[in-house]
Amino acid sequence: MPKPEDYSERTTQLAGWPIHIVTYRLGTTYYTTIDNTDPGAWVVKAQGATKEAAESQALKDAQALLEKVKTSKPPTGCTSVPGF
Amino acid sequence: MATQTSTATGTKSAVLVSTDWVAQHLNDQAVRMVEVDVDTKAYGEGHVPNAVGWAWDTQLCDTVRRDIIPKAKFEQLMADSGISNATPVILYGDNNNWFAAWAFWQLKVYGHQDVRLMDGGRKKWIAEGRELSTEVPKPSRASYKAQEPDASIRAFLAEVMKASSARSAQLVDVRSPQEFSGEILAPPGLPETCQRGGHIPGAANIPWGKACNDDGTFKSAEELRALYGGAGITGQQPVIAYCRIGERSSHTWFVLKHLLGYPNVKNYDGSWTEWGNLVAAPVEKS
Repeated sequence: MPKPEDYSERTTQLAGWPIHIVTYRLGTTYYTTIDNTDPGAWVVKAQGATKEAAESQALKDAQALLEKVKTSKPPTGCTSVPGF
Repeated sequence: MATQTSTATGTKSAVLVSTDWVAQHLNDQAVRMVEVDVDTKAYGEGHVPNAVGWAWDTQLCDTVRRDIIPKAKFEQLMADSGISNATPVILYGDNNNWFAAWAFWQLKVYGHQDVRLMDGGRKKWIAEGRELSTEVPKPSRASYKAQEPDASIRAFLAEVMKASSARSAQLVDVRSPQEFSGEILAPPGLPETCQRGGHIPGAANIPWGKACNDDGTFKSAEELRALYGGAGITGQQPVIAYCRIGERSSHTWFVLKHLLGYPNVKNYDGSWTEWGNLVAAPVEKS
């Protein structure tokens, strides 16, 4: 039965938000999970043949998500007309 | 069932097992391990050998109306998972046991006697390099009869409104400071599910993660008592915990109710996605 190996975790900043990156290898596949540190919710996951490939993909996906975080603005609802 | 060493709380050993303990009981037919993750695909990538997997979004909630799993479906889930009323259940999951705690809370709502969390959850198991299996066990069907829902551990809107206006219970908002202040409407990267940001008037902000060590395990009783006591949450008054959808607050409910032994603690699973969408409800921002 396989065991996770090459486990690593670190915290960094992405799109202005602190993120936590966890990567490990299971068999020949590397798994990366990125969470948003506080509150610690899982944001994205990626797999790759190398640690670099898995983390690179995860970072790219996480950046796209985190750049969309709106601050101090309520949702605009069901219309995109400015002013509503 | 012998578990990990007891702590000063006197209750920790009754609701927690260590990863070592789980590793020693992988083939113990008398207990049932269950993985419950935020990321419902994680189980399929590899899980504790012989653990069954529950999906929080389809198996631990009513899929028609917003509610916890109905009693009949809960009984079916337990029976299908090979769990009888007497079976000790060990829950674990990702994000330091967020949804494992949510499952724990629901098992207690329906009166399951022996349920525990694996301290540190999936993260600690993986960090320790322990075996992972992709084989899905097929336990023999058991017989299960749930009790009527225990209303003493679940808060609904009316009670939370009273707690806020009359200070009849202490409210603990376990979300991040940015969610509490209203700066953001949801954790970074997650869907916004409310119309307004902020918090319920009178709530104290004690983020759930402060109860955990870096390895995902729970802090000591002394540390937890200082954390919550420092904010005036001592257990002398009723407590209601809430977050965004009720899973992070299950984690804090678990800490207050089962690790610190506070007598009257409820989880408000409607949480901010209910309150933050109400028309004319009072909202505090800070």
